[in-house]
Amino acid sequence: MRLAPGLLAALAAAIAPHAHAQKDQGLEIFIRPDKGYCIACHQVPAQAGPVTRSNVGPALAGARMRELGADRLRELLRDPTRARADTIMPPFGRHHILDDREIDRVTEYLLALP
Amino acid sequence: MRFRSLRLALAVLLAGAAIGASAAGAEAVRQSIAARIEDQLKAAGADAATAAPAEASPQAAATPPAAGPTPIERGKVLWVRKFKDGRTLASCYPNGGRRVAASYPLYDSRLKRVVTLEMSINQCLKVHREALLEPTDPQTMGALTAYLRSLSDGRKVAVRVPAAAESHFEQGRRLYFTRFGQRNFACASCHVQNAGRIYADQALSAAVGQATRWPFIRANQAFTLQAQIRDCLDRMGAAPFGAGSDEMNDLEYFLTYLSLGLPLKPNTDRGQTTVKN
Repeated sequence: MRLAPGLLAALAAAIAPHAHAQKDQGLEIFIRPDKGYCIACHQVPAQAGPVTRSNVGPALAGARMRELGADRLRELLRDPTRARADTIMPPFGRHHILDDREIDRVTEYLLALP
Repeated sequence: MRFRSLRLALAVLLAGAAIGASAAGAEAVRQSIAARIEDQLKAAGADAATAAPAEASPQAAATPPAAGPTPIERGKVLWVRKFKDGRTLASCYPNGGRRVAASYPLYDSRLKRVVTLEMSINQCLKVHREALLEPTDPQTMGALTAYLRSLSDGRKVAVRVPAAAESHFEQGRRLYFTRFGQRNFACASCHVQNAGRIYADQALSAAVGQATRWPFIRANQAFTLQAQIRDCLDRMGAAPFGAGSDEMNDLEYFLTYLSLGLPLKPNTDRGQTTVKN
């Protein structure tokens, strides 16, 4: 029982970098031209990624992302044309630009936006 | 003197008739797209000038000129080079090539094909039994068009779409508005629907005016319109049409007609960067 706090701390220390790495992966997919390249069209808050003037798509804010929720975000990333037929946003999942795991990483990144 | 002014009057009359001869369908399409883009540019809070990538690119002004001969100088060397039969490229064009570029691409009713400026250069080389050039090679064809189009700097685009060529114009329009490739973009997604907005930190150029600004110079190399379209298709995740293919020529034909009446601004410098977005 006395060991538990120490164990918990060790566990937290082991998990934290992992979670951090996953968030970084999300950002990387978000900005890489050969991956999502979301940053080409969308702006994100200054502390969450590179500062750009991109305005083809709406600027992304954490509050709106959390309002949509993880499932809806994942669905939008997979195929945004189902929500709006005339959108020019690429169907990242349907056209295999990103795989499911990568879409999850981007979703986590979006939900964690300030 | 009187003879010259008579010739001038005749030329003006012919040009007027030529523009008038463009098929009504093509003209209606051009006007409706121009209106759409005007609305879009207002919505994007940008005017046509800021939508031009040449002016919008911040690195273009900051980079020093590259060493060595410019593409125009290299093009002139190729232009005046004598063929084996003693003729030159200039012999294939009226006025030795001066003030001709604004009429291209043109529809050749005998070939039943759209002929671009590059294709006309290759036709000339073929007639004189010279080796043909790769249509998007910056070193040869790019440099040649840089020189040839510099002889028409400021001339207004005067492309015609006769009734017989309307199917080619329509094919070009269809390709411009069709979504391609892995990213599911059409040319129009960016250059009509989002003209003037910022993509990858660059203003998206408007479809109207695009065809007046080629070739453009990057890292002291001249890039043709078809080279740029191939680059765009590549970014869209689509297999690009071959340079000089009918699809590409029809696209160029359509796109150039959208700029009818606008002055040519060839050889704008877009800096040194060769990195793709």
